[in-house]
Parts: sequence; structure tokens; C-alpha cells
Amino acid sequence: MSQPPSGSPFARTEVRADGHAVVTIGGVWNLDDPLPSVVIRGDRVRVVSEGLGDFDSSLPAWLHAHGKNIREFDLSALPPRLQSLVRMAEKAAYQETGDEKPGLLEQFGTWGVESGSSWARAFEHIGHTSLGFARMLIGRAKVNWADFSLQLQTAGVDALPIVALLGFLTGLIMAYVGLIQLRQVGATVYVANLVSLAMTREMGALMTGVIACGRTSTAFASQLGSMNVSQETDALRALGIQPVEYLALPRILAVTLMVPLLAVFATFVGVFGGMVVACAGDLSIEQYLTQAVRAISFKSFLVGVIKSVAFGFIAAWAGCYRGSVAKRSALGVGEAATSAAVLGITLIVVADALFAVIFNLFNL
Amino acid sequence: MSDPTDIVSCADLAIGHGRKVIMDRLSFALPAGRILAIVGPSGCGKSTLMRALGGLDAPLGGSARLLGVDLATADEPARQEILRRSGFLFQGAALFSSLTLRENIEMPMREFLRCPAKEIRQLAEYKLALVGLADAMDKLPSEISGGMAKRAGIARAMALDPRVIFLDEPSAGLDPMSSGRLDELILRLREAFGTTVVLVSHEIPSILRTADFCIYLDPETGTMGAYGPPKSFLQAGQPPKVHAFFTQARID
Repeated sequence: MSQPPSGSPFARTEVRADGHAVVTIGGVWNLDDPLPSVVIRGDRVRVVSEGLGDFDSSLPAWLHAHGKNIREFDLSALPPRLQSLVRMAEKAAYQETGDEKPGLLEQFGTWGVESGSSWARAFEHIGHTSLGFARMLIGRAKVNWADFSLQLQTAGVDALPIVALLGFLTGLIMAYVGLIQLRQVGATVYVANLVSLAMTREMGALMTGVIACGRTSTAFASQLGSMNVSQETDALRALGIQPVEYLALPRILAVTLMVPLLAVFATFVGVFGGMVVACAGDLSIEQYLTQAVRAISFKSFLVGVIKSVAFGFIAAWAGCYRGSVAKRSALGVGEAATSAAVLGITLIVVADALFAVIFNLFNL
Repeated sequence: MSDPTDIVSCADLAIGHGRKVIMDRLSFALPAGRILAIVGPSGCGKSTLMRALGGLDAPLGGSARLLGVDLATADEPARQEILRRSGFLFQGAALFSSLTLRENIEMPMREFLRCPAKEIRQLAEYKLALVGLADAMDKLPSEISGGMAKRAGIARAMALDPRVIFLDEPSAGLDPMSSGRLDELILRLREAFGTTVVLVSHEIPSILRTADFCIYLDPETGTMGAYGPPKSFLQAGQPPKVHAFFTQARID
């Protein structure tokens, strides 16, 4: 009946008349070999060995896993070294107590509280940013101006190619769609009005804001999140410098300045994109330009600029905010970058809708 | 000098950063199941020596053998096999921040073992229970204390039942109680699994408690200043610098 010590690991159970279960283990236990599968029933279990050969931590781990829910798990018949390996895991379970898995209601409550505190943190960050601006205006904020000029370059000048491409394509698409409709009523000349007005009032600012969220917000969230991980923001606080003033203000300022300029650029490129389509078919360049200039009023131009200032602020703020509250891990930085883009784009669209209502009220 | 049964040994070893040699003429051997502490002033090359012994960095001269194999000249499969049978705890624990403690321990098991997921889970839970983290398995590294992170790092180093583990300043940044518990854990693991331990430390009381052998690196001579049982360094007749380093640290 006894097993050779060189055999595969085995375990079998039998239940005695007095209700005791006996588990017999034996063979060679190795991390690379499949372990035996048994179901142990009963509150009182005695483990014995039979032909037990060499073993590594797979055997104490197996015993640890099978014995943890059994009231009396008697290992006294096992070799002393094996007993001590299993007991080490039991004894070492000290200090930090675990969290019980919360119920559905508790999970819902936790979600509610966390959402509330997330909004509270967002408003707190807006408050800190506003105070920082006020302190900067009176010359009391410690702002990293080297970052400001760097961000003018990276968030502004470096974004020109992608803004040009997307602006051109937006104008081109609008002209195509517009021409199809306007041809039906013989009013193709108004495609210039459509493209130029839409680009000036709406699409120039919106497209640039979305691009800023995609490339600038995510970059800010990653930068500030990484600084959080490496405790650089803590180091700033320890030096008496507010991270919002030192890190966020120059970034927000730079992007709020550059996005309107990029939006104006996108508007011109978009109008040019529309012209390429319009002049390829129905209109001459003179007709198109004359109509476009007539359509764009100073008010429309102002509407576009106001929107783009707001969108630039939102994009930069979303990145700085999500970065500053990022969890201190690689995953946390990734999440911060993603959520910065999502938050930025969502707020920009919401703000655009609000602008539409407000400008309508004021007849702008 | 080297015995085939030695777990770690080196002969005329030179180590450094880039091409710059910071320590040379290092020769010693560590038998199985023993604990070796590497000590010396800051910046003398303790961690660099440990990395060279563990096969993470190539030596600049001489040879270092781990489990009887010179990792600098071994082919890749042999090297991988030896590295699999050794474990590392880095100074900051170096836990994967996006994984829970359990997933951190399971990761090397998933890569190297052919067991089903259930058995890997059992093993990981056992290893975490061994280091007293049975109740913190589903926490992320960012949610635990420095001492817990060190213990989780040891559990990960022990994941594949290594024959030797390298611990880089395991007690650094811990309070005396946590540091004492970590020493106990190292001794218990050595006793239970027969694991050989190489550790870098500045904590003289901890070294006296745990280490069987100690190597003192002397930055002035650029080589080892002494090698032997750490308690012997406290006695008279030792090189004055070594004696002073140990007794001064003890007084401090």
C-alpha cells in the first residue's frame, strides 16, 4: 500500500466512524508538478504521511489552503519541518487586519461618497487655481516661468501641424456636405458663408479644444501624476511652494493663451479647406472669398475667440487637476491621463452648449 | 577557493560603474544555508557587489559564480535557469504598482510554473501568509506601509522557492520594531527553506542578529577590508577601521 517516495504527489481522504477525517499525503511534491485534488469534509481532520518524499513549498501551501477553514487540522503526525512550514504561515498572520468585502448597499454608498468627494476636490482645485492667479497678479505667487515658455512651445507651436491638418479637413468636409444640400436649391454660393461662419464661431475653437485635450491635457496629467508618484509635489510643499502655483499656473496660462491663436489659425485653414472644395466645382475663388468675408462679422470672430479662451483653460485645467489627484502608481498615472482627456472633452462640449444658449440670449 | 557546493563565490572580482572600477580583488565563498552581510561606508559599492553576485551586472574583472555557474560566461538558457533559482529584494521593494500584492507574487509563478491558476493562487496566498500579509493580499502597493512593502518584496523574491535571495537594505527606513520583525522573518525563512541569504545593510544590530558571515568593503583600499563572522569584528585584533566601523555604529 505504501507509495514510493519518488512517485507523483498524492492525497486521499477517508472518514472514520467517529467522524474524524484522515488525509493521507505522500509522493514527491514539486512546484512544477500538478497537485492532487481532494475534497476534505469535516471539522476534525488529521493529516498523515505515507511514503512522503522531497517537497518544496507546494506541499505546505497545499496544506495551508486546505486547512484554513477546518476547525481542528491536526498535523502532528507529519515530519516536524513540514509542520513548522505550515505553522509559520498561520503564526505570521498578524498585525494588519483585512477589509471585509463590502455589501451592495455599502458599495453604492462608497461610490456616492467618492463621487461627491471627487467633485469637491475638483472645486477645491479650481479654487486654488483662482487664488493662485490672484496671488500671481499681485506678485506673490511662486510661478515656474521656465515652464511657461516651454509650454508655449509644446502646447502651441508644436501643435500647428495637427491643428492645420484637422482644421483643413473640417472645412473640406463641411464644404462637401454643404454643397450637396445647397445644390438642390441652387444656392451653392452660400457654401462660403456656411464654412466661414461655422469655422469662425464654432468648429475652429471646438476642434482646437479637442486637440488640446488629446495632446496637452493628457501630457499634463502624466507629468503631474509622475511627479506625484516620485513625491516631487510633496517636496515642493515641504519647501513652502504651492504645486498649483508652481506647476499648474504656467501650464494653464500658456495653453489659455495659445489655444485662441491656434483656433484662429484653424479657422483660416478651415476656410481655405472649404475653398478648395467649393472652387473645384461650383464657385470661383473671388466669389468664395467675397462671400466668406461678408459672412464673418467682428461679433462672430469675438464669439470664436471667447470660446477658444474658455476651451484652452478647460483643457489645461483638466490635465493639471487629474494629474494632481493621480494615484501613486503607474496605473494611477495612466488613469489620470485617460480621465483628463475624457473630462476635458466633456467639459468643452458642455461649455459649448452653455455658450450657445448665452450668446443666443445676448444676440451675439 | 571555490567549492562546488558554495552557493555564491567570487574570485579576484572587480566591480564598478561603467568602466570605472570601484572595488577589486574580491574573493570569498558562501556555503549553502548561510547568511552573508555586505557592509561598508556609503557609496563603497555594496549594492554594486550584490548586483554582480546576483548576475544583474557583469563584473569588470575576475569571476562571480552563483549556484556554481559563472553568469557572465554562461549561455542564456543556463543564465535564465540560475536567475530563476535566485530572488531579489530591491531597496524600494520594487513591487509592480498596478498589481495587487497577490498578483505581484503570482506574476513570476505564472511566468515560470506550469501549474493551474488555482494552485498558483494557493502558493501566492501561502507565501504572503508566511510574511504576515495574509490580510493584505488584495491591496495595491500604494496602500501599504514601507515595512509591509518590504515583506511583500521578500514574498515575491521567495515565490519560486529560490536557493538564494539577495536583499538590498531590507531594514532601511523601517522603525526598530519592524526591522526586528524583518530580521526574524529572514531567520525563519532560512531555517524553514534552507535558503542562502546575501544582504546589504547599514544596521549593525540587525547584522549581528542575522548574519553568519560579513564582508567589509573598504573604499580607501578599494577592496575587502575583512571577511568573517560579524561578532568577531567587535573583538580586538581586527583591522582598526573595521573594528571602529562596527563599534562606532553600535554606540550610535
